[in-house]
Amino acid sequence: MNTTIPRIQMLDIVKSFGTVRVLEGVSLNVMPGEIVALLGSNGAGKSTLMKILTANYTKTSGEIRVNGAVVDFASPRDAARVGITFLPQEISVFPELNIAENICLNAESTGAVNWADIARRARLVLDDLGFGHLAPETLVADLPVAERRIIEIARALESQTDILVMDEPTASLSEQESAQIFTILRRLKERGTSIVYISHYLKEVFEISDRIVVLRDGLNAGEFDPFTAQVTDVVNAMLGKVAGAMFEDRAPLPKEAPVVFSCNNLSLPGEIQDVSFELHAGEILGVFGLIGSGVEVLGRLIFGAKGQPAAGRMTLSGKPYQPVSALKGKEAGIGFVTAERKTDGIMTDMSVRENLVAAFQRDFGSGPFTSPERETAHTLDWIAKLGIKTSGPEQTIRLLSGGNQQKVCVARWLNPKVKMLILEEPTRGVDVGARREIYSHLVDFARSGLAVLVLSSDVEEIAGLSDRSLVIDRGRILAEFNSGATANDLMSASAQPVNQT
Amino acid sequence: MSDTTHSQNLFKRLFGGSGVGTTVLILLVFYVLLLIVFSFLSPFFMTVRNMTSISSNIALIGLMAAAGTPLIIAGGLDLSVAAIAGLTGVIVALLHAAGLPIWIAVLCAVGVAVVIGLVNGVLATYLRLNPLIVTLATMSIVTGVSLILTGGLTKPLSVDGFNWIGQGRVFGIPVPALLMLAVYVALWLMMQKTHFGRHAFAVGGNPDASRLIGLPVDRTQISLYVMSAVSGAIAGTVLAAMLGAAAPNAAGPHLLTVIAAIILGGTSLQGGRGSVWGTLVAVLILGTLNNGLTLMNVTSFWQDVTRGVVLILAVGFDGLRQRMS
Repeated sequence: MNTTIPRIQMLDIVKSFGTVRVLEGVSLNVMPGEIVALLGSNGAGKSTLMKILTANYTKTSGEIRVNGAVVDFASPRDAARVGITFLPQEISVFPELNIAENICLNAESTGAVNWADIARRARLVLDDLGFGHLAPETLVADLPVAERRIIEIARALESQTDILVMDEPTASLSEQESAQIFTILRRLKERGTSIVYISHYLKEVFEISDRIVVLRDGLNAGEFDPFTAQVTDVVNAMLGKVAGAMFEDRAPLPKEAPVVFSCNNLSLPGEIQDVSFELHAGEILGVFGLIGSGVEVLGRLIFGAKGQPAAGRMTLSGKPYQPVSALKGKEAGIGFVTAERKTDGIMTDMSVRENLVAAFQRDFGSGPFTSPERETAHTLDWIAKLGIKTSGPEQTIRLLSGGNQQKVCVARWLNPKVKMLILEEPTRGVDVGARREIYSHLVDFARSGLAVLVLSSDVEEIAGLSDRSLVIDRGRILAEFNSGATANDLMSASAQPVNQT
Repeated sequence: MSDTTHSQNLFKRLFGGSGVGTTVLILLVFYVLLLIVFSFLSPFFMTVRNMTSISSNIALIGLMAAAGTPLIIAGGLDLSVAAIAGLTGVIVALLHAAGLPIWIAVLCAVGVAVVIGLVNGVLATYLRLNPLIVTLATMSIVTGVSLILTGGLTKPLSVDGFNWIGQGRVFGIPVPALLMLAVYVALWLMMQKTHFGRHAFAVGGNPDASRLIGLPVDRTQISLYVMSAVSGAIAGTVLAAMLGAAAPNAAGPHLLTVIAAIILGGTSLQGGRGSVWGTLVAVLILGTLNNGLTLMNVTSFWQDVTRGVVLILAVGFDGLRQRMS
């Protein structure tokens, strides 16, 4: 009768960051030996929910039970003690240590290392997973990515994990490598391990999971049985009806618009292969790709932040263009809005004004001197135009919400010298209201003559925002769609199997 | 706008942005308390004679710490500054002894400092080496070269007009103190009023973002390494003029005080935050503390202990205050 008690019960979980509610009462059950796929668009609350389970975040309200008993973890270590392990999207192994050390290393190990013992334990776990051929003495740095992922899973097993949470475990793996991971997950399931599997790849989800749980905007949006459910039903639950309201009707594309940017056979070894496209003035070109597809590289490569590409001919405003550095990209007339605002977008301790004028600061000063007055006037102008919610130009940008920080990052590039604006994940971590505003502003900027290139792993965003869209996977452009392509079209184009890798 | 916010704005304008103003204010209060305590404890403390005598010593530390502050704000670090001060005195003394006019000798020494600064900067930016290691290495090289050039001996350097920089007075105020003040005003103007200064804050606050905005990250840092080396050279010139001699390792022992003053002054070792006025007040505090304890017959061994305790207390308090807010 023990088996009828869920391994995990999360009841009515609410999470707020400041005034923003990210989870509005989400519930999730996982039975022993069950693989539950957690699905949802970006910002649906999947990661937040899992970070609450693993005690990386504290919940605002709600209840968590493990094997029927209410738990309240103070730290991720407490969660680890009852057997919950979280494997984040980025593989976290110690490349300079060998397999045995990587597997047996945990917070409870003390004293001298018993090499024979850890080698024995590592071999045991690897055998169990069907990877007995990996020698425990091998340096992890020498293993391919997929096997590093396996080492990570083996480590979780070694530390008696019976609840495994995985975030996009196959994001950087090929299809064969993914199949290896699935084999392991099935073995774990037979042993009774409960698995929560977060993924964007619908095909995988249907293949591996026992139950599909969909979240949308911080709420449960449906549960499906992968053996009977239709893909379209799951996608509809993920996307909901929001998409229609997010994007307003727009002015038609200008006829006969000049080409602002073109690239031919652009390549960066291992990341981008033979990418060619043209971008016209007044147009928003969207590039959709899942994480690890090259979508996070292409924009940087064109801007110059990746240095010189290995191959490719490009033109910008009719002149030959070669990416060298961000500074040269800016001088050539490209603006770039990064996906990671905190790490490489804003100077957190500086004011809204200083952040907003940073790219073209010299336009506001005279000679070597800055002119705070003119900067303030310019900043106030954009605060009004974009509806940036701030106490004023002198407020520290750190105190603004993600959406308002993002508006500052966009406004920074709105200068007549910029002919082409590249945006990576323009609304990641941005609340729904601000998202709608940013979309409508981007359309306005485009229609006033700017060429806009949007790169995103958010399929609805690309489907709704683009005048034309490309789908990228494993560094290649797989498909091109004209305006009117649905999220479903884009998603299924990206899920096509690749013949050559 | 209410009165309090207005005075806050005025304060922020005076002491630079990013909340460092409060740190400077707290330090100023602490400095005044220190002055009050010592003037009660020792009758000689608050005399004109004593004050002018400590101001020359303070000026020396102050000059070495001056350009180090913007450099640390921009995410760099220079440990070679005191060694450069020593080498400067040596070069001036040797070139003058070889028959070169004294000011030409000074110019040559500054030129050498510029080259050392460039080396520091290029290694730390283009080659992405850790500035701590790079400048530790150049410090060692520069100190060694000074000792080689002099054979470890002190060289006399007594030239009319030149020694005035170290020993002269204008309206009763020692020239080194005036020189230091001029350098601080110039650096403050640079950091608060120019594009270059704004870039320094941005580059130190978030180098990746600065690069993606297309700011000249490496160029800004290299310029600041050069400025730090030059401020070391100025300090070295003042020191040699003050002593009437060039001792190869005269400035070396001051290095830790210089770094301590910059950190005590509220400049973050992580970069992006700080102000030159904070450094100045911190230099005043550390110099006054030394002098006051000497007047009270505390041995220099205990002075080292006291300085360490004050540093921990001040930085600890400021850290606590910032975590509270």
